[in-house]
Amino acid sequence: MRVLVTGVGGELGYQVASRLEADPAVVELAGLDAKAPRRRVRSMKVYTVAPMDRRHILRAVREFEPTALVHLGSWEPDARVAPRMAAERTSAMAIAVLGAAADLSSMDRLVVRSDITVYGRKRGSATVPDESVPPVPTTPWGRSLLEVERLAAGAGAAAGVPAVSLRFAPLVGQRFPSPLARFLRLPVVGFSALADPAFSVLEVGDAADAVVAALHRRPDGPLNVVGPGAMTVSQAALVGRRVPLPFLGPEWVVMRRAAGMVGVGLPDHLVELIHRGRTADGSTALSALGVAPARTPDVIRAVYGWTKPPELSVVRGAA
Amino acid sequence: MSAVSALGRRLRGDYEIDEWGHDPDLVDLLAPVVRPFMRVSVEGAAHVPSSGPAVLVANRRLGLVEPFVLLRGVRQATGRRARFLGVPDVAPVGPWLRRFGGTVNRPDELAALLRAGHLAALPLGPGLRKPLRAGALAPECIAPALAMDVPVVPAAIVGGELTGRWDVLLGPPVPRPTSRGPLALAELADNARSAVQALLDEAFPPRWPFS
Repeated sequence: MRVLVTGVGGELGYQVASRLEADPAVVELAGLDAKAPRRRVRSMKVYTVAPMDRRHILRAVREFEPTALVHLGSWEPDARVAPRMAAERTSAMAIAVLGAAADLSSMDRLVVRSDITVYGRKRGSATVPDESVPPVPTTPWGRSLLEVERLAAGAGAAAGVPAVSLRFAPLVGQRFPSPLARFLRLPVVGFSALADPAFSVLEVGDAADAVVAALHRRPDGPLNVVGPGAMTVSQAALVGRRVPLPFLGPEWVVMRRAAGMVGVGLPDHLVELIHRGRTADGSTALSALGVAPARTPDVIRAVYGWTKPPELSVVRGAA
Repeated sequence: MSAVSALGRRLRGDYEIDEWGHDPDLVDLLAPVVRPFMRVSVEGAAHVPSSGPAVLVANRRLGLVEPFVLLRGVRQATGRRARFLGVPDVAPVGPWLRRFGGTVNRPDELAALLRAGHLAALPLGPGLRKPLRAGALAPECIAPALAMDVPVVPAAIVGGELTGRWDVLLGPPVPRPTSRGPLALAELADNARSAVQALLDEAFPPRWPFS
């Protein structure tokens, strides 16, 4: 396999690349992102291209001519960049990379990062959706990723290759810029006094394992990858010996502002998670990929065991 | 002492909830408080599978207390924790009921419960005016049970809130439909409703004016 990994400057991209480097089935490896990975992957050729620079992205993809594309280049709002910039970058990168891949005759498989946020949490919607439930995103992050999924499905159909969208539960990891992990590690953690619903997470290493397994097994269509079990926000705060603070309605505006002042943005999809919960049925991925993710309660406990806080730098301003 | 340790567990967040928000630790904690107001006797518990997924189809009047009666009865007779469908997805009622095993009534929600190996209680239509008549069951509600070939066990709940005494009668799994295609679903729903009605008739035989 000649594998091109986009989003290799992030923690998930790095973990996927480092697994692929040790994989005997991978004959050549390249990475593409707006910035180079913080840690070196020795055998990987790196293309450093701005996400809005379509011409250079097309040239890089055509030059490398991959047989397998792993598209992880999506920007979660308030993870590294502000929500508007995140949506613009995610869309621009997906159009360029997947558009180029659709034209390549060498392509034989496509793996795309998505998120269970795409299901949305409208009133009365399924609490634990499986892949047969139609996605109806209710947040900008969900809409961005559903668009990426549609582009990937279109590119896969055009190239005649299987395209899998891995719908991850909210990702957390020590070096992963997760708005959820930052929020949970605040000294005072707000939770919805009227709901406090259950949510699930996925450790970033398990997500990387799922990506590599998807490359090998070549499934088609969406797959939910979710850490089994769940927790509520107030329960997580208690586990982490934080102060759980019940909030109602307009008080959330205050909470959002207060969190923003200490560098912790609360994007819409995180507020939705806190109020409406977020989980999904990951049993199909378990059999299709053979990856058994760590349980959500164990991952949340690990979040509070990190010695180094998750990154706080969020770039604001125009794209 | 156990109440103190349970409280300590709650304060440390050291308890399990599942993806639907079910909190068995809280249910067990509140069970002694509820016991005097909800005395449940169960007949036919052997019809409930000891493990694996199954659907319980049960009658209700308004449906406020019956789901809890059924869950409590099944728990004390079989040791299994059942779930019930039909909670409103509106805070604070919905999330609070989810703690006790409730979830929204959707076929994909039932399918997810069954895939996870749960015992799911599906309510028939309300029978406020005629409490001894089994209400209707929309065929699409029970579709996952047919698709996954899961046993459907009828349950009749009789009793009253005023006395706090309830009887839960469980019948043998309803026969699989002989039809195919869309008719199979309608047949399974009819079979389930008829089986619940038969249990209600058994508990309260119809009385004729001149008998």
